[in-house]
Amino acid sequence: MSNAAHKQKGVLSGIRVLDFTWKTVGPWAPRLLTHYGAEVIHVERAGGFDDHRFAVHRSLTVDDETPNHVQGGKKWYTDPYFNTLHHGKLAISLNTRNPEGIKLVEKLIAKCDAIVENFSAEVFPNWGLTWERIHEINPKIVYMSSSGFGHTGEWKGFRSFGPTAAAQSGLTLASGLPGQPPAGWGYSYLDVMGGWMGGLGLMQALMQAKKTGKGMYLDYSVTEGAMTMVGTFLLDYQVNGRGTRRADFPPGNRAVFPQVAPHNTYRCSGNDRVGQHWWVFIACETQVQFEALCALMGQPQLVLDPKFATNEARVKHQDELDAIIGRWTRARRRYDIMRQCQNAGIIAAAIQSAEDRVEYDPQLQHREVFPIVQHPELGEVPYEGYPPKLSRTPAYVHGRAPTLAEHNDYVFGELLGMSEAEIAGLKERKVI
Amino acid sequence: MSGVYEGITVVELADRRNQWAGKLLSDGGARVIQIEPLKGSPGRWCGPFVQDKADPDNCLDYWFNNTGKQSVTLDIERKPAQDLLRKLLAKADVFIESTAPGTLAAMGLDYAAVAANRGLIYASLTDFGQDGPWRDLHMNDTAHLALGGTMASSGYADPTVTPIAGKGNQAWHMGCAFTLHAITVALFDRMTSGEGQYIDVGIHDVCAIGTEAAVPHWMYFGETLYRHTGMHANAKRVPPLELPTADGKYVMAVNQGLSDKTWNALLDWMDERGVPTSELRDPKYQAEPVRTAEYRQGTLIRDAVRKLIAASNAEECFLRAQNMGISWAMIRAAEENYGLKHYEQRDYWRNVEHPQIGRSIPYPRGPFTCDALGIEPRGRAPNLGEHTRQVLTQDLGLNEQQIAALAAAGAVK
Repeated sequence: MSNAAHKQKGVLSGIRVLDFTWKTVGPWAPRLLTHYGAEVIHVERAGGFDDHRFAVHRSLTVDDETPNHVQGGKKWYTDPYFNTLHHGKLAISLNTRNPEGIKLVEKLIAKCDAIVENFSAEVFPNWGLTWERIHEINPKIVYMSSSGFGHTGEWKGFRSFGPTAAAQSGLTLASGLPGQPPAGWGYSYLDVMGGWMGGLGLMQALMQAKKTGKGMYLDYSVTEGAMTMVGTFLLDYQVNGRGTRRADFPPGNRAVFPQVAPHNTYRCSGNDRVGQHWWVFIACETQVQFEALCALMGQPQLVLDPKFATNEARVKHQDELDAIIGRWTRARRRYDIMRQCQNAGIIAAAIQSAEDRVEYDPQLQHREVFPIVQHPELGEVPYEGYPPKLSRTPAYVHGRAPTLAEHNDYVFGELLGMSEAEIAGLKERKVI
Repeated sequence: MSGVYEGITVVELADRRNQWAGKLLSDGGARVIQIEPLKGSPGRWCGPFVQDKADPDNCLDYWFNNTGKQSVTLDIERKPAQDLLRKLLAKADVFIESTAPGTLAAMGLDYAAVAANRGLIYASLTDFGQDGPWRDLHMNDTAHLALGGTMASSGYADPTVTPIAGKGNQAWHMGCAFTLHAITVALFDRMTSGEGQYIDVGIHDVCAIGTEAAVPHWMYFGETLYRHTGMHANAKRVPPLELPTADGKYVMAVNQGLSDKTWNALLDWMDERGVPTSELRDPKYQAEPVRTAEYRQGTLIRDAVRKLIAASNAEECFLRAQNMGISWAMIRAAEENYGLKHYEQRDYWRNVEHPQIGRSIPYPRGPFTCDALGIEPRGRAPNLGEHTRQVLTQDLGLNEQQIAALAAAGAVK
């Protein structure tokens, strides 16, 4: 069966993307196009596979720690994160070490509007696929490379994962408790947000190509993208000489600019399933909010205490104030605190785990953030959808992730016009 | 330079949540008219300020997030100002706003009220979107990272220590990335359909899909992740990868496969630093699968790596490891990226003139190196109300008397 990518019309119907991405940061960009009906052809090494098909998680359906791919007859490759990153795409296999395989890539380039990859800088040129060559084959094509440091400059050969880019950009250091090692981000923020930024660049390039009729090369450096997310720190350094490597920064969950207090996480009753404490975040950005918090805590006199009477005073006496609030939250339940604070107009949010969000968060359920998609082996499974809601050209989840080489016949037969015998020959020679 | 958004006129209702999206539109060549309250956008008052003196024209966070925009002061609480905004929207291509749901409808400025401009793309970036049981909750950036799931994965390995939210208004950045993606899709569509539309983005929705493995782990395996200091949360307890250096910094020592050449270079480096390698030089570790398994599961290679990093400086760890094919990183301060040759070779910094301080400041160019997209800061952020008169006279055709009357009524400044 054919995947759903070309069933439902969308803004990007008719746009075809050749997707050489793998891991996490690369696949997001073309995935965001699938929601609008683009036909995204995900290319995997013939005889191999995108390692996200099995490497990140164990099998869902077999009680065996062995990865899916070596279990006989397991054709669906049910790795959860692969499903998230590649849903709505088509999948083909291709041996790029074989000159015949490269010929096929070149034929596909001629038929695509965009080509994307997140290999190291030398991989495409080693295949003979320089921008000049790609452009020569198809002058209208958009080529985007995603990499840690970009494809020029003395670090162009450097390798990067999400945590590498976060560390180099300054993002990791800007997260943590004072006097403690950096806390950073507990996942590859830059594989996710960096992937979305790549998706934005790809969309911008497709629009520019539609406008001008000319293709272009987009050299996306994830680290450079991340440095635009810490711009205020850069300017503070340039203008005031204040760096982010200093004793009082980062200040945990307290506010930096503007400085307001209270603004922190507070321990609540209970622990999560693996024994980590439960916490609630509370902030008062206005005097009215602080007065409401004091009333809620049953301590209205706090507002009159010179140590807490103004925001300036509260910032100065944050340790003491946080201790008072922490004593109030300690025996209380996190959602009760959140609800009571919110009802009183105070900023408050439980630190929600994935379980909290997927199972209980009424807002995410209402907004259908985790849509259900039919999977041939797993049945109905939820996915992480596309958040923006467009009134006239809505985004869709176009179906599950493709199985390995599921669309070889469509792509090589229908799209490239090869006969069954020719395709059989390619298989025999291990080109596909 | 002809940017990707050249020729597009954007009206942006000033708000800290949406201003980065407007900046990226301006950097791409759009004309962005920011409508501010008479006392200025909240983004002008948050700091840090030049020399720490509060001044709406000298707020550095505002400078960064509003490059190239035009500032118009309008008190949209007042009817005459609402009429002016409605007129601006009648000619605009894109409108971005982040008011509490229902606010603009009460002013006759919701999408339905201005959709007579058939081409208008009207984007609302709000905390929870336009509907749902939590729609009216009070939030800020950290609250979103808490409720949206980022914090549950981020912090320290000690289960009694608080989860941590990264700084820099990242929840708002995530919301802006998706808002601008959707706006660009809508612009792409409009090139053929001629029609605009309404876009509703909730920051909570965006954060909730942005936590990488946490959601799939729960959905498929029912697992809750342990926080690990400086690195990925994991369903199991795993050894640290964020390791201290000789010069008091940290290296992110990503665990990866090591080729023969890399392995031998690493051992030589250890020898230089006096890290014992006799066990590691056991011929069995010349087989890549054996050393990979040991590195992943054992302590021998990990301990040696920890000692090597403790005996080396951070910059050396980064450069030397990368030059031998290991993707380690130095945990750098943002400002430590200035002066690095790599970014200069890539022409990354753009000087923006700031008469306020009598000099220019190097800003990041932006995420993409691509002349055809033409994305880069188009000049400094505007002073408060710097373009009010220009927009009122040239765009809206008002004369001096009309402007004076509006000012007297407190609608403009």
